[in-house]
Amino acid sequence: MPDFSLSPEQESLRDMARKFARSEMAPHAAECDRAARFPEEIYRKAHALGLMNLNVPAELGGSGLSLFEQCLIVEELAYACGGMTTSIIANCLALEPILLDGTDEQKQRFLAPFCADYHLASFCLTEPSGGSDAGGLKTRARRDGDAYVLDGEKCFITNAPHASLYTVFATIDPALRHRGITAFVVPRSADGVTPGKDEEKMGHRASSTSTVRFERVRVPVGDRLGPDGGGFSLAMRTLDMTRTPIGALATGIAQAALDQAAAYSLKRESFGKPIAEHQAIQMKLADMAQSVRAARLLTWQAAWTIDRGAKGTLESSIAKCFASDAAMHVADEAIQTFGGYGYMREYPVEKLLRDAKLTQIYEGANEIQRTVIARELLRGYA
Amino acid sequence: MTGPVLVLGEIAGDRVVPPTLEAIGVARSLADSPAHVVVLLAGARARVAAEALTGAVGGAVRVREDPTFDGAPVAAFAAVAAATADLVGARWIVVGGTTFGRDVTGRLAARWNALAANGVTEATRDGDALRVRRPVFGGRATETLRLAGEHAVVSLRPHAFPPAAGTAGAALIEAAPPVEIPPTLLAPRRTAVEPVATGRGPGLTDASIVVSGGRGLRAPENFRLVEELAESLGAAVGASRAVTDAGWRPASLQVGQTGRAVSPQLYFAVGISGAIQHLVGMVSSRVIVAINSDGSAPIFKVADYGIVGDLFQIVPALTAEVRRVRGA
Amino acid sequence: MEIVVCVRPVPEAETRLRVRADGRALDPDGVKFVLAGYDESAVEQALLLKESVPGSRVHAVALGPAPRTEEVLRAAIALGADAATWVDAGPGVLDDPIATARALAEAIRGVPHDLVLCGKQSGDREAGLVGPALGELLGIPDFGSVVDLRFDPAAGRLTFRRSTEAGQERWETPLPCLIGLQQAWNDPRTAKLPAILRSRKAPIAKTAAAPGATPTAVGERFELPAPRAGAKMIEFSSPQDAAEKLVRLLREEAKVFP
Repeated sequence: MPDFSLSPEQESLRDMARKFARSEMAPHAAECDRAARFPEEIYRKAHALGLMNLNVPAELGGSGLSLFEQCLIVEELAYACGGMTTSIIANCLALEPILLDGTDEQKQRFLAPFCADYHLASFCLTEPSGGSDAGGLKTRARRDGDAYVLDGEKCFITNAPHASLYTVFATIDPALRHRGITAFVVPRSADGVTPGKDEEKMGHRASSTSTVRFERVRVPVGDRLGPDGGGFSLAMRTLDMTRTPIGALATGIAQAALDQAAAYSLKRESFGKPIAEHQAIQMKLADMAQSVRAARLLTWQAAWTIDRGAKGTLESSIAKCFASDAAMHVADEAIQTFGGYGYMREYPVEKLLRDAKLTQIYEGANEIQRTVIARELLRGYA
Repeated sequence: MTGPVLVLGEIAGDRVVPPTLEAIGVARSLADSPAHVVVLLAGARARVAAEALTGAVGGAVRVREDPTFDGAPVAAFAAVAAATADLVGARWIVVGGTTFGRDVTGRLAARWNALAANGVTEATRDGDALRVRRPVFGGRATETLRLAGEHAVVSLRPHAFPPAAGTAGAALIEAAPPVEIPPTLLAPRRTAVEPVATGRGPGLTDASIVVSGGRGLRAPENFRLVEELAESLGAAVGASRAVTDAGWRPASLQVGQTGRAVSPQLYFAVGISGAIQHLVGMVSSRVIVAINSDGSAPIFKVADYGIVGDLFQIVPALTAEVRRVRGA
Repeated sequence: MEIVVCVRPVPEAETRLRVRADGRALDPDGVKFVLAGYDESAVEQALLLKESVPGSRVHAVALGPAPRTEEVLRAAIALGADAATWVDAGPGVLDDPIATARALAEAIRGVPHDLVLCGKQSGDREAGLVGPALGELLGIPDFGSVVDLRFDPAAGRLTFRRSTEAGQERWETPLPCLIGLQQAWNDPRTAKLPAILRSRKAPIAKTAAAPGATPTAVGERFELPAPRAGAKMIEFSSPQDAAEKLVRLLREEAKVFP
């Protein structure tokens, strides 16, 4: 029988993340959302406490946590603010390709100095003309002697305006489609790298998102990750690892929405009694609670599967897809529970809906997740 | 027969402090008779304070007229108190609800091998034992303890008992037993005392009494009614969110969901309607008094006592009555 | 400076309190015990002093049952304590502050202690007795509700402030002494993740509390406040009448004496 309880070590990690989230992130969540402010001071604190770079091994300066432990932490952070969490864990997404396909020399050279101090990194795959269709990306990487020259534009890149490091996916030959895609590590300081203006977003407004333009950027061969044409596989394997924590992020948002709605329903009265005593609200809360728990358990199972060495594509796609849909649904119902107050920006619930929406779109839109789930599922019936 | 009850008194200037009078009142209720209450005073003005006290104490006042005890660490008093208790045959020692009282209780209990309880809100006899009640978990619960050993030391919760009135007849003033205080316990020195500035009461979360004002006060200059009532009570001042949002007072005074949570013995809600956001911050107060012109205000659902009326008349009258009763 | 800091596992602040079946105490089922409140400030103070006085060590001591006591000590180690001692004790000692003080004094006598730090009172029963009792048993002066604690290495003296009814007092004292801290006048640090992982493997010395001949207070009842039934509305003929009636009710009926 599986043991669903946490070890004392896991509890300490979770408690520490919870404490940081509630005392450092939560008090500023509303203000950062309202002003679309990037709270660098909070991200610096997160780094100082070891809450960034969770997937990087301890020898290289990260926290070296298992995926399960990462999920425990990500859920706690997202409970306080989904946007801040997105920026905090964006490093994990950007650094994962280096961990997967980087040589020992590259890992040492890139990761050790990066983790030692506060730095942000960005994962650059999406382009204006293609998100889900990553195979069709257009950013070119032309070989020129002992370097590549990168030209192209990426968009919707988390942390881009503040990043010091970019992991960039470009094609050495568009005609090869996904077989031409190659991965590179590009420092911000390289000539021709231009991050764009921070986009005005519906949610995750404490996180910073922009385009990044690469104009004749020279990248030494030594900064290429893996072989020519190995980039698409690397991107997919990266997302296999980072999809599950998004399930945890969405679960955190959903739990926050449920807690708000449940607490409110016990205090708010209508028709002479707390609304928690009306069946309409009880049905809502019951459905919300089921969704939140299911999201968490699916996320936990995906993390546990991957920690055991399996690829976990099916499990992680289910976790991400289910949890993000759950977060949207639960946040929506939470607003409904609050009624008119839920619609007012003064109350914290409407932000949860705006933050939940992105989890259905990024890190692999849920339509793609469903395609993946169907494909993986049908394998078993073929 | 429980024998004498000793009160370890505290002096300020030439008199005992009001909490000592409260302790004497409790001691009288616990002792077999007023004559069985013994008060111990130590300090340069101990004899003068004892003479002022005699009406309130039925039994003896033991005095150590010794400037060493003024501004001495609490540790120095424990030895004298234990020796005095043994000399007069007391089994129980009561101390007033002050910082000194709280600090000396544990010290004394360890020295005298006694049971102890701090901050009690009730103290009664149960045969040979002492039964006490006190708040725990930040005021969210109460525990009842039975102290049935040979000795017990209790300190009172501030403002939970009436001060003893002076009618019991003249008391005898005698010397406290001579006790050597080890030099290590006298080595710490108090180097300065800055009196509390008037108008600055206790901190909101620690206070035994809180007086909060809300929008019913109508204008910022009226908030002083709340502050005057608080001052008369020695209470902390709180405010509803409407008041702090309007800038009448700083946000640090806000009691409520997005402000502070308080659980004092006594909470006055003046001109506060009782929205959930405020209630969440004060509903675990032991006793709540609501003063509001609107009889249907939700605050009256959680209050213990309600006055529906014009707060601009009632609050000043209350302040005056409190001052009269406290003899201030 | 050798600093001993006494900590105690207490229920988390947000715990919903429930009464045990026999009505005598808190129901510990489902309660999460943490290092919190006053004790956190005590650990923080110990670490600040350690950092300001080179060559200092911080030794955390806690009394109580497994596993919560060990967890609280690991939390202190993760924050930066150099050593930890666990005094294993059951309900007889744990629930009685003076017995607790005796057991702690026994453990602390055996280790170097220039300064003993405690929180002002535990976050649960708030007895506020252990600190002073411990001072008495160790034969050192003790001070409670302290803020702004500083050490002057040249003079070998501590200075601090405390609030009393007389006002703000300033004190100076030589070592050794025991200090009980006011809550959160300092801003307790958060343990870093790598330190938390390392603390899991840190060694913790263990001793057992000798069963004492000390008398114990018997907990008779543990009560949650009754739900409120609505205000008793005071009828009055004039503001003065309202004031007099209210004050009388507060004194005689509610027994809360203004």
